[in-house]
Amino acid sequence: MTTPASQVVETPPHDAAEPHLGFVRRYIFSTDHKIIGIQYMLTGLVMAIAGALLATLIRLQLGWPTHQWQWLALLLPKGMPGGVMTPEFYLAVVTMHGTIMVFFFISYVLVSGFGNFLVPLQIGARDMAFPFLNMLSYWIALLSALVMLASFFVEGGAAAAGWTAYPPLSAVWSAVPGSQLGQTVWLLSMALFIVSFTMSSLNFVATVFSLRAPGMSMWRMSLTVWSYFISSILGLLAFPALTAAAVMLLLDRHLGTSFFLPSGLVVANRLLPNQGGSPLLWQHLFWFLGHPEVYVLILPALGVACDILPTFTRKPIFGYRIQVWCLIAVGVLSMIVWGHHMFVSGMSPFSGEYFSLVTLTITVPMTIFGVNMLASLSGGRLLLRTPMLFALGVIALFGSGGFGGLFLGNATANMQLHDTYFVVGHFHLMIGGVTMLGTFGAIYFWFPKMFGRMMSERLGKVHFWFTFVPFFTLFFMQHFLGLQGMLRRYYAFTSYDFLKRTQGQNVVISLLAMVLVAGQLVFLANFVWSLLKGRVAAANPWQATTLEWTVASPPPHGNFGAALPDVHRWSYEYGVDDVEGDFAAQSVPPERVPVTA
Amino acid sequence: MNKPEPNARRSPAFEAALVALLFVTAGVGGVAYGARSWMPELASRHGAGIDAMLHYLLVTVGALFLAGHLVLGYFIWRGGGRRQIGLRMASHKTELVLSIALGLGMLLIAEGGVIAIGMPVWTEYFGATPPSDAVTIEVTAQQFAWNVRYPGPDGKFGRTDPRLMDDALNPLGRDRSDPAGADDVITTNEITVPVGRTVRVQLRSKDVIHSFFLPNFRVKQDAVPGMTPEVVFVPTREGEFELACAQLCGLAHYRMRGFFNVVSPPQFDEWLRKQAATAN
Amino acid sequence: MDNVIAFDTARVGRADDEIDRHEDVVRLGLWIFLATVTMLFAAFTSAYIVRRSGTDWRPIALPSVLWLNTLVLAASSLALEVARWSGTGSRWRAASVAFAAAIALGFAFLGGQVLAWRQLMAVGLYAPASPHSSFFYMLTAVHGLHVIAALAVLAWGAVRTWTGAGRRDLRQWTGLVGICRTFWHFLGGVWIYLFVLLSIY
Repeated sequence: MTTPASQVVETPPHDAAEPHLGFVRRYIFSTDHKIIGIQYMLTGLVMAIAGALLATLIRLQLGWPTHQWQWLALLLPKGMPGGVMTPEFYLAVVTMHGTIMVFFFISYVLVSGFGNFLVPLQIGARDMAFPFLNMLSYWIALLSALVMLASFFVEGGAAAAGWTAYPPLSAVWSAVPGSQLGQTVWLLSMALFIVSFTMSSLNFVATVFSLRAPGMSMWRMSLTVWSYFISSILGLLAFPALTAAAVMLLLDRHLGTSFFLPSGLVVANRLLPNQGGSPLLWQHLFWFLGHPEVYVLILPALGVACDILPTFTRKPIFGYRIQVWCLIAVGVLSMIVWGHHMFVSGMSPFSGEYFSLVTLTITVPMTIFGVNMLASLSGGRLLLRTPMLFALGVIALFGSGGFGGLFLGNATANMQLHDTYFVVGHFHLMIGGVTMLGTFGAIYFWFPKMFGRMMSERLGKVHFWFTFVPFFTLFFMQHFLGLQGMLRRYYAFTSYDFLKRTQGQNVVISLLAMVLVAGQLVFLANFVWSLLKGRVAAANPWQATTLEWTVASPPPHGNFGAALPDVHRWSYEYGVDDVEGDFAAQSVPPERVPVTA
Repeated sequence: MNKPEPNARRSPAFEAALVALLFVTAGVGGVAYGARSWMPELASRHGAGIDAMLHYLLVTVGALFLAGHLVLGYFIWRGGGRRQIGLRMASHKTELVLSIALGLGMLLIAEGGVIAIGMPVWTEYFGATPPSDAVTIEVTAQQFAWNVRYPGPDGKFGRTDPRLMDDALNPLGRDRSDPAGADDVITTNEITVPVGRTVRVQLRSKDVIHSFFLPNFRVKQDAVPGMTPEVVFVPTREGEFELACAQLCGLAHYRMRGFFNVVSPPQFDEWLRKQAATAN
Repeated sequence: MDNVIAFDTARVGRADDEIDRHEDVVRLGLWIFLATVTMLFAAFTSAYIVRRSGTDWRPIALPSVLWLNTLVLAASSLALEVARWSGTGSRWRAASVAFAAAIALGFAFLGGQVLAWRQLMAVGLYAPASPHSSFFYMLTAVHGLHVIAALAVLAWGAVRTWTGAGRRDLRQWTGLVGICRTFWHFLGGVWIYLFVLLSIY
């Protein structure tokens, strides 16, 4: 299954052409988008391990709230004295788990990591538009992650007001221990993250706009590129709202201003001097970012899945242009629906009706997108390789979690479900699961391109089963805990009679979570083993059509040889007759294989 | 891709059937699991509307969820056995028609539910003027307790002032010089209301955001400092229920529990009298 | 941005039309950046409107030095235009002087803003004094940070004009000065907007 030489663009050995670049400039302070992408990916995977360990702690606490884990007391003497977690540590763990997984795992691995690696390669560019800015964005991102981890060790512990950081809880130092220095560090880390993410998104947009190879019109770009393009625009427009909010929260915390703090607050039996601020203002600003942010994360996962599906069904994606329009429509709609996170916040009920109606219009593009993914399978010759399994998992989780949105976007149903485990289950299936399976699919699919070696199929399949089954089951169950009224961010469910009957389900969920985390060890083993010992990959091991597969694995510095490739067709030319097989890369001229779209 | 892969030992069709089974099981199992009755026992009038909304969604969404997974399983099972692809590309017209039909169908299910079932409940819950005989209660949340106040026979709450607040002696910051406050009845973490009469809860918070959640009554409203949202509902069932905090408010958020007792009207009058007597 | 261009050009050694194309990309990047800056100030504005409707809004008297600062900033923008006009006529010495004047006036503006802060503090109006003063300090500070970033870009343009590195050919220089102008006039516009918002609303 080697790719014929005719299809590989001849590339001069670039390292020889760059003799002035030493090891440090080539692999550490590199401006090469591929190295930066891999740096982001590895950083994100390390953060994912941290996030997964925090999840394990959460589930230990919720499954067995009174058990004394003596060995954990040795590891975490302050957080778990005597082996039982303290409430302040629990809240810090919950807050940090959410923050790390959303901002430092998914954003780094999937958005910045694969975005950096794939976008220039797939549009036929030699690098990002601003390579130096790109390098800077990675190093700021790393700093941001380190600052966030450091917050565990400051006075009062890490931030404990939830990843949403609602004031006054997050603004008043005495409201909760995590609102001492921990919250400040959290805000500073987020500020760094926003700076880095803005640089990176700016780079994506500029790159897609201006560095496409000859013939690569917008309508020939893969859905992966489209999804990164839309998600970057969303990030650029939405993140400033959080920047503004974070600045104001910092001022409230340190200079005594009253942006979010109303008059007459009495915290810890002391009257605060603040006057007239509005706690809801934070929520509006936060969710103006927060809602588009979930699409920033999920769109790339969907885009990646849309590129994996045709490769392993050997036929084009169903409704390519419709999919693009759906991505655009979702992007636009996501900017005007943030209030559906605030139905019971005391916001005007009329706003509630508006946000409810507008939110549910999102079901239209998202349903079409999901159904088209499903329809892409029909008539296909399915090759169930590991990336394909994860892409199928994306369809299943998207189809399951997405339905939860119909409940939560509906203001009337939301009244009972708000802040319960229904919400927890919903967003874990969506921005936890769809993105995670999309990320894994991407790793298995592009690993050969990144590192020049194949990952083990057998371990990959084991990993899939040990990921999908527990993940789907446990977060599906959580929806129904939510229907029972089980509330999120609770340290234990032992204080209420109506929650006592959930204990058995919580144990099951905790056990599934342990299986899920253990299953990821298979992935880590596979990753490391394949990096060292994996079968050497050909340029195009999956017989795929986009431009990255027309160059060597891994691609040389500068990606393409002396001349950039000429693009003659769309990204999904599968199911055609060619001497090379049943597909035509985008650079194959029409004289050789007729262009079908 | 005609050469066999080194890792592909089992027959592809068998493996496809296995994966198809996984997704079909997810769909069927999910519906079987979800079809049980989950919600806490209903005890309020508007709650029936909320339950109707939830049931409508559970049924429609459950059907779509099941159908989706069955189709997914079928495509995998069918596609895994193919040696050649079937139809390469549908026509643009097919793509468009399928998309529009399904998109509109979903819009109908989602928005139709909101407009036909959700909005009337929402409007009734927020828009109805409470009758004059409604029981008015002020609930002031703080870390970590619910301070409950009844206006007493004069129907008026006495003045409060945050400057007078003291957790031990005067958690509500009552101004004792105000005569309207003399007959106010105060309890902590305990609310008693008569069955069948409209209850108006005026929510306040002293410190951070809390949320007033009565699972059995399908009532949830954030108590935001600086705002005084009002919750209006009618309890329909006597009994002892629980009040929970639904918005993260600090260390003891998970046990900021209150008791919500619904009693017969005579019992309620009796209870109120007794409370007033003990207070004086 | 200095480094982006310097590093890239050094590495690739582009042909002239590629340099043109690169200037276009930088200009595009700048406009994207300005779009996010616009969103930032839009977010602050919406916060301002929400907070303005609160009952505790007590307007403070803004220091009159702000008028002078506005003039200084306008003069700075004008100096940048003079620089472009001189450069277009290949009067490089005049262009360099005008560039330097624009930067000096930019620093004068920042100094004037600090003076405004000190005048407010002298009468006891610190950030927490009223929501109006909170917004005044915050918005001037955020704007000031952007001004500092823009001054760095201006300094890059000035140095390249002075040393001649940026004016090997006129088209390239126009592109370079165009980036400086866009950024700088934009921030001038933002300041006028903020000044109007803080004074009138």
